[in-house]
Amino acid sequence: MKPILLQGHERSLTQIKYNREGDLLFSVAKDQFANVWYSVNGERLGTYNGHSGAVWCVDVDWDTKNVLTGSADNSCRLWDCETGKQLAMLETNSAVRTCGFDFSGNIIMFSTDKQMGYQCYLNYFDLRDPQQIEDNQPYLSIPCSESKITSAVWGPLGEFVVAGHENGEINQFSAKSGEIVKKIKEHTKQINDIQTSVDLTMFITASKDCAAKMFDTTSLDHIKSFKTERPVNSAAISPNMEHVVMGGGQEAMEVTTTSTRIGKFEARFFHAAYEEEFGRVKGHFGPINCVAFHPDGKSYSSGGEDGYVRIHYFDPQYFDFELEA
Amino acid sequence: MPSNEYDDSKPSWADQVEEEGDEGTLPSPKETVKGNIKTVTEYKIDEDDKKFKIIRTFKIENRKASKAVARRKNWKKFGNSEFDPPGPNVATTTVSDDVYMTFISSKEDLNAQDQDEDPMSKLKGQKIVSCRICKGDHWTTRCPYKDTLGPMQKELAEQLGLSTGDKEKATEPEPAQPVQSKTGKYIPPSLRDGGTRRGESMQPNRRADDNATIRVTNLSEDTRETDLQELFRPFGSISRIYLAKDKNTGQSKGFAFISFHRREDAARAIAGVSGFGYDHLILNVEWAKTLPKKRYVSGKP
Repeated sequence: MKPILLQGHERSLTQIKYNREGDLLFSVAKDQFANVWYSVNGERLGTYNGHSGAVWCVDVDWDTKNVLTGSADNSCRLWDCETGKQLAMLETNSAVRTCGFDFSGNIIMFSTDKQMGYQCYLNYFDLRDPQQIEDNQPYLSIPCSESKITSAVWGPLGEFVVAGHENGEINQFSAKSGEIVKKIKEHTKQINDIQTSVDLTMFITASKDCAAKMFDTTSLDHIKSFKTERPVNSAAISPNMEHVVMGGGQEAMEVTTTSTRIGKFEARFFHAAYEEEFGRVKGHFGPINCVAFHPDGKSYSSGGEDGYVRIHYFDPQYFDFELEA
Repeated sequence: MPSNEYDDSKPSWADQVEEEGDEGTLPSPKETVKGNIKTVTEYKIDEDDKKFKIIRTFKIENRKASKAVARRKNWKKFGNSEFDPPGPNVATTTVSDDVYMTFISSKEDLNAQDQDEDPMSKLKGQKIVSCRICKGDHWTTRCPYKDTLGPMQKELAEQLGLSTGDKEKATEPEPAQPVQSKTGKYIPPSLRDGGTRRGESMQPNRRADDNATIRVTNLSEDTRETDLQELFRPFGSISRIYLAKDKNTGQSKGFAFISFHRREDAARAIAGVSGFGYDHLILNVEWAKTLPKKRYVSGKP
C-alpha cells in the first residue's frame, strides 16, 4: 500500500478522528491548528485557527456540523465544520485534555488537567441552552480529586462518559447526576487513549503499562488484553474485522537516542479474539501517538510524534489473511 | 508570451528553444485531461536560475458516495488552505513510499520446526550414520570414545603408514562423512547424509567468504559495480561485489558488499577507504555483519 502522507502539522500529533461517514479526517497536534482532510485523497479541506496552544483533543458530531477542540491554552472551542468559523469558546482554568460530543450531538463534555493549583474537572454542557455557553456555566461539573483524566469517550445513548485516569483507573461518570456509576482498575499506569467500537458496546484502552485492553462499555467487564513491550499510545478496534490496531513506541523523550529500527515505531495489528499479533506496518520516524480506523474498515490512519499523519489503504492481502490458531 | 498561442497544439522544437531563451518569463501552466488521466505541466525557476518543467499525472476516479458526503466534497476550503487550488496541495499532501504489512504467523514457524524434526526421526531407525571410531550410530565427532579410542586408532594408522585420519581432521569432519547405506535401498537426496541441514555444503564456503567481506555505505546513487571494482582492486583480489540496486530504476541504493579472497586485504581496504571522499560523499566502510535469522516474513517479496 502507498500511504498518503499529510504534512499539516509542525509538531507531534495528539489525536486524529474520522467523522461518521469517514470522508473527513480531523487531526490535532501540539501546534495550534486543527486540520481537516478529505480521507479519500488526502486533500486538506481547511484548518481551524484560533487556539494559542497545543491542541490535545478533537471531536466531531454525528452529522459533521460542529467540531470541538480542547487545547492547552485553557479553552475548549466549538467550530463550524464547513467554514472553520469559531462558534463558541469555553474558557477554563487549566488545559483541556479530552472532549467529546455525545451521540445526539447536543451535549458536550470535556475534562481539564490538574494544573497550576486547579483540580481536574469533567464538565458537561448542553448546546441547546445558549445561556450555558454564554455564561460559561456547565450544567454539570465533576471534580476528580485523586487522579486526573487522561482520556475519555462517551458511552452509548449519552448516559455516561468512560474516563481513563492517570493512575490506570477507568470510571463511568453519569451525564445526569455526575456520580461515578462504575469503577475498575485494570491498568497499572496512565491510560493514554480510549476508543470505542462502532456500535459503542466495547471500548479499547491504550496504556503506558505496555498493554491495551478491551472492555464492555456498560458493565466494564474486562474482555481481552493485548500485550506489547512498549508503552501503547493509542489503540483502535476495526469496524469490520476482528482486528485491533495499536500504536506506540518508546517514550518521546527517549526517541532521539534510539534508531528507528529498534524503536518499534510500527503500527501493530492484533487479532481481537486470539489476542495475538499478526501484522505490522512501518513508516513513522517516531512513536505513533494516535491511530484511527476508517468507519468502513478499509483504511486506517496513524499520527506520529514525527508530525505526520499517514492514511493507509489496506492491500487485498490484509483482508485475505487469516490467523491460524 | 509565445506559449499562449500554442496552448492547444504541441509547440515545436524551435519554439521551445525560444521559450527557454527569454529570461524571466515562464510558460503558463498547462492542464490536459485525457480519459481519466489528468496531466498538469508547470514551469519553475529555482534559486540558481535553473528552469524546471514539472509534469504531474493524476488519475481521475469516480466514486459513489452518500448525499452528505458528496455535499461535503464541494465545501470551500478555509483556514490555512483557503487559497489552495482544488485537489491535493503538494505542500501538505504527498504519497509516500510503498509499505507492506509484514505478517507474523506463529503457525509458520511451528511448521518449519516440524519439517526439521521429521526426517531426523526417520534417520534414527535406518542407521545412515556410522562412527569411524567405534562403528556406532552417531557422528564421529560425537563419539563417546573419541578421546580414548580415536588417538589410538590414529597411532595405529600412522604406524601403518596411512595418514587418512590426519587428512580428515584438516577438513571439516562432518560433511566429509560418506553416505553409508547398509540397507542398500534408494535414499532420496533430502534424506541422505547432510540433507537434513539445508544447504550445509555451501555454508563453510560462505562463511569464509563473509569473513573477508566488507560493507560499504553512503555510496552515491550513480555508483556502478565497475566503480567499486576500480576503487577496491588495489587492496587485493576481489571474489565478489554486490551492489544493492533499486529494482525499478537500477540506481544504487547506497550500499555494497565486497568480498575479498583474503581477510588481510579486506582489513586494508577498510583502513584505506573508510572516510574516503567519493563522488561528493564520504564513504563508510566496515566489516559486513552476518545477519541474524529473520523472524518476520514479509507479505510480499
